[in-house]
Amino acid sequence: MSTISVHDTHHDNHDDHAHGHHHETFLSKYVFSMDHKMIAKQFLITGIIMAVIAMGLSILFRIQLAWPDKTFPILESFLGHWAEGGRIKPDFYLSLVTIHGTIMVFFVLTAGLSGTFSNLLIPLQVGARDMASPFLNMLSYWFFFMACVIMMSSFFIQTGPASAGWTVYPPLSAVPKAIPGSELGMTLWLISMVLFVASSLMGGINYVTTILNMRTKGMDLWKMPLTIWAFFLTAILGILSFPVLVAGVVLLVFDRSFGTSFYLSDIVLGTQILPNQGGSPILWQHLFWFLGHPEVYIVIMPAMGISSEIISVNSRKPIFGYHAMVYSLIGITILSFIVWGHHMFVTGMNPWLGGVFMITTLIIAVPSAVKTFNWLATLWRGNIRFTPAMLFAIGLVSFFISGGLTGIWLGNAALDINLHDTYFVVAHFHLVMGSAAIFGMLAGVYHWFPRMFGRLMDKKLGYLHFWVTFICAYLVFFPLHFLGLDGVPRRYYAFTEFEFMQKWLTVNVLVTWAAIIAALAQVAFLFNFFYSIFRGKVSTQNPWEANTLEWTAPVERIHGNWPGEIPTVYRWPYDYSKPGSDVDFIQQTTPFSETMSSNMPHDFEGNEEAEEIQKQWDAVNKPSQTAE
Amino acid sequence: MEFTAEQNVKFDAKPKKFIMWLFVVSSTIMFGGWTSYYIVFSASKGKGHGLVLPDVFMYSSVVLVASSITLFLATRALKSNKINMQRTWLWITLGLGLAFAYLQFDAWSALYQSGAAMINNNAAISMIYIVSGFHLLHIFAGLCIIVNSLIGTYKALSTEKAVYRQEIAAIFWHFIDILWIYLYVFLLLNS
Repeated sequence: MSTISVHDTHHDNHDDHAHGHHHETFLSKYVFSMDHKMIAKQFLITGIIMAVIAMGLSILFRIQLAWPDKTFPILESFLGHWAEGGRIKPDFYLSLVTIHGTIMVFFVLTAGLSGTFSNLLIPLQVGARDMASPFLNMLSYWFFFMACVIMMSSFFIQTGPASAGWTVYPPLSAVPKAIPGSELGMTLWLISMVLFVASSLMGGINYVTTILNMRTKGMDLWKMPLTIWAFFLTAILGILSFPVLVAGVVLLVFDRSFGTSFYLSDIVLGTQILPNQGGSPILWQHLFWFLGHPEVYIVIMPAMGISSEIISVNSRKPIFGYHAMVYSLIGITILSFIVWGHHMFVTGMNPWLGGVFMITTLIIAVPSAVKTFNWLATLWRGNIRFTPAMLFAIGLVSFFISGGLTGIWLGNAALDINLHDTYFVVAHFHLVMGSAAIFGMLAGVYHWFPRMFGRLMDKKLGYLHFWVTFICAYLVFFPLHFLGLDGVPRRYYAFTEFEFMQKWLTVNVLVTWAAIIAALAQVAFLFNFFYSIFRGKVSTQNPWEANTLEWTAPVERIHGNWPGEIPTVYRWPYDYSKPGSDVDFIQQTTPFSETMSSNMPHDFEGNEEAEEIQKQWDAVNKPSQTAE
Repeated sequence: MEFTAEQNVKFDAKPKKFIMWLFVVSSTIMFGGWTSYYIVFSASKGKGHGLVLPDVFMYSSVVLVASSITLFLATRALKSNKINMQRTWLWITLGLGLAFAYLQFDAWSALYQSGAAMINNNAAISMIYIVSGFHLLHIFAGLCIIVNSLIGTYKALSTEKAVYRQEIAAIFWHFIDILWIYLYVFLLLNS
């Protein structure tokens, strides 16, 4: 129940003192750990396992899309009656896309990404011993774990997993008899999501509290790395939007299991008229997308923060426009709450209201573009070190540009009438939030692996992983734009029934092969990751020569992060290649008194005494400069 | 929770109280989700729940406000170091909280008997049960926190821990009090 500690206080307090000497068992160190670094690893490894599962599901439905007429007897041997005769059944196809989407959006890119890096980096980069409530943090992981188990358990029931799409629109999801997936599978989906939201809220509340209350001496808000800003705003987004999903989910549970009519009206099932009257399925969409749209920023903002940090470190340059980066994150945070209607342009929305949502949506392009240009300007004429982490961070920028541009198309209500529910949308969000966010996450894994495990990942395997994944991701998602422009709808089981879709079958074969190769490339990553945990090259304390606080902590990763006192922070985290300095990086813990040759007037933030001292020093040591 | 032997642990209540505030925010938003469902629903259908709410809701509201006052008195007693008086007020708060819970059940059965059941083709009526039901879940959580503070009065806690327990209870209990008044007034105004 206790948090920050400063050594040599409270020796007289017996109750607290007894806690100081505690012996770690396997259970308390690896399983019910309350150490933020261990919880981060738990989130990461669970996230990786879930990502592999979701990727496997996508390969299954890609096989169906590429070869709808062929049979693959091997599928029957491990999918049983879901692939009778070696062909995936339509109902199971829908389950596959539903669970693929759910796992990727929530379990991998929300919990796997924020859970890993917020947990790892927030205490280490703001200078805290641990989270505000380590107990809540542990609970957050175990709720997430239970959510994973329940979600996966739906693969082991007779009627199969939920299959109404990851957005689970009623009435399809609300009427158990509608499709097999809406029976027990949907109930498990809803239970799993409630646990997931509980986990996210516990995490998010902890992150915000830690950042606002537990920064070390000198770490004011404008000295925080962009990673912390991104995690902070992401957590705020989660706190403000996830409860609305719970509100919506509760109503859906009551409609499904107790017979209320929140979302149901005028449903005829076969010859039977359902008793539910007076509800509106559109209201689910409002509640869902009020979370759902901020959710895509919950996914991308941590990846942006991670990339900003990595690009700056490996360009050996300060991040371009630090304040603009922060303000654009804040802008995205605020705007993300007033754009949800762009998912609903074709629900019969009042065109004037649609126009409002269109304008707010297009305005988001402004902060997004600010961030993109700032990344490019940071790279511009930097002394770039192409580490695997750097490549993945640049990959994020690439995907964010190519996926973001199509967002401007889709944000236009008039164009969206044509493009909604086609493969154009699939291409758009897989590039801008799928690929971009996963590249940000992988960049983070390569970059902070030494911080987590004290060892380095293999570089050559990292390059192989990057290039194959990067090229294949474009090969998978880029052609889908053209399917969408031609009007090919998403979620269709086979392209064989419609004349105009048949010409796209060959493209689907290309896409599927690219997806399979991309999946194989992940084996390089998985091997590299797990092998390096045990056998990787032992890392030095600061392998990337970075400025932020986490690299001042010992490699041994002790409980409480720093032996003795927590270091004090004197400067912002981006003093790379500062003119006048002998070294190309100056850590946040280095006081200005030790860097007299490189101090700038604005470094002192109006502290007149310090400016005076600097002037005197300059007069003695840089006479030529002061004479000018 | 605990760090290496040399780093002794100092109790800091501030971040923990902050956690409670953030929980209050997210909970408010959940109820905001439901009341906005209600607003959009009744605007698009041109009807609300259309009921005269049972009088019991009025009595329960009075009881809940009274419990907030007694909890405030408990906090004040603790601040002037009168642990016995704090304990008495906490017991009274606990009793009033349980009375509130009983009255809510009473109100539901009154609603049910008047023909406004939860399973209803008017979603606005079902919503009365949803919001009051989930509010009641918050009451039960609040009662646990009050019990936690009450147990504290029987132990020799350090002052800062006793104050912390009491303050957590106060933040949460006053929040659910205000939340109920909001919900009740909302339902009265949007019939």
